[in-house]
Amino acid sequence: MECEYCDILAGKSKAQLLYEDELVVVVVKDVVYTPGQISIFPRQHFTIMEQVPDEVITKCMVTADKTSRAVFEVFQAEGTNIVIQNGLGAGQKIPHFAIEIVPRREGDGLALQWQPKEVSQDDLDIAAHQLAEEIAKLGDFTAPKKKEEPKEKKVEEIIVGKDKGENYLVKSLKRIP
Amino acid sequence: MPEPTEEQRKQWEEKIKNMSPEELQELQKQQCIFCQIVTGKIPSKKVYEDSICLAILDINPATKGHLLLLPKEHYAIMPQVPEKILGHLSIVAKHVSQVVLKILRTDGTTVFIANGAAAGQRAQHFMIHLIPRRSGDGLMPAEERLVGAEMALKVKTAIEKKLLALLGGKKEVQKPTVQKAEPGSETKTSLKQPEPDIFITSAAAKRYHKEKCPFAQNIPLENKVILSKEEAEKSARKPCTCVSGKKIPLVKPASGGPETESKSKGESKKNKESTIEPTKKILESKPSTTKTKRGGEASLDDIANLFK
Repeated sequence: MECEYCDILAGKSKAQLLYEDELVVVVVKDVVYTPGQISIFPRQHFTIMEQVPDEVITKCMVTADKTSRAVFEVFQAEGTNIVIQNGLGAGQKIPHFAIEIVPRREGDGLALQWQPKEVSQDDLDIAAHQLAEEIAKLGDFTAPKKKEEPKEKKVEEIIVGKDKGENYLVKSLKRIP
Repeated sequence: MPEPTEEQRKQWEEKIKNMSPEELQELQKQQCIFCQIVTGKIPSKKVYEDSICLAILDINPATKGHLLLLPKEHYAIMPQVPEKILGHLSIVAKHVSQVVLKILRTDGTTVFIANGAAAGQRAQHFMIHLIPRRSGDGLMPAEERLVGAEMALKVKTAIEKKLLALLGGKKEVQKPTVQKAEPGSETKTSLKQPEPDIFITSAAAKRYHKEKCPFAQNIPLENKVILSKEEAEKSARKPCTCVSGKKIPLVKPASGGPETESKSKGESKKNKESTIEPTKKILESKPSTTKTKRGGEASLDDIANLFK
């Protein structure tokens, strides 16, 4: 499988390497949304975000934040977009998970924004119900696993104590093994 | 609430000016819609919640299932968010994205952070957008375009110093493993390899070397090419003696007289059999000898080629 990012690591690319450590690599590509854009990707080859281990994605995100700060300062950007195009449907071009840092200016005309839609409460409810139920099965991600117990209780308290409109959440939370 | 008069507004502005940063933050918090969502003062469609963050449905979604991932604590922009929370958010985003892909049967998700109004940030509360995507939805039509290698170099030159300062300086990477994960394999494949099978060469060289080989170390950084074992074997390059395990015979400039290739070849065999001298010593003496011989400009690969 051809992978442009692995090629960069193998020194077979026109991209400029900015930084690398055991987990992440920061490069400047020659194909970008706008000049000044920086790409961050894990050293190891993962095609999509779902494959990236927690510690690696954490490192990528923290590196993205720092890179974003540098972009802000150096290119006097008025803002930055941090974008992960995850999967073909999202327009991912290179089969290697990456985070793009795109410098933004007022009126730069970059089409990285979407048209917000008006949707009915029912539609929202349906989507929420579908997702919440499945997400609840994942449990609590709060870092160390030993702390999971007390934090889980807290979540339940908050929800139960709040209102009756979200019964589905409470229900689904109870299903957590 | 009645419109504030000009005087009231001035008073407000004065008041805000004199506020301490902490007070200002408190005020921002009170004004922040998303903080009120977190506390439940404003109803929302929650799909996930833990002690650190909250995932809700965007009421004006880009597509069905558009989620917002918010830290419970109020941070206006990304640089204010502590690393730990940022890391946690990315982990949650990953797992939630997986569910989105599965349940809504989309073929992609866009993870999007807008930092600053110019980037499309609308609320004063840091959040990560998770947008389910389908091929051809035309949602974010921006296309990447070729700006050229020169522009990339310019960007690198401009930002390198600042970035390295923020990331804590350049690091020597000991194991540049260009290992590919098998599609669909476990996500927790080990990142560490006991013995990295990587070799160094330069674009023009005819041999490849181990990382620690003095030949490899003498290749200027910009010419260095890193190969995996497979790549090295596939390429037309031959293994250096450091790879093949043969001892490197010394070119003996001191013995006088130019050496023919066949002679050095013969000698290499002799060396291997007769010399008890440790290879390491030979390796160490190698670069200096060649440099004096070739006027300091020699690419060690040319010399390596003598030992065919």
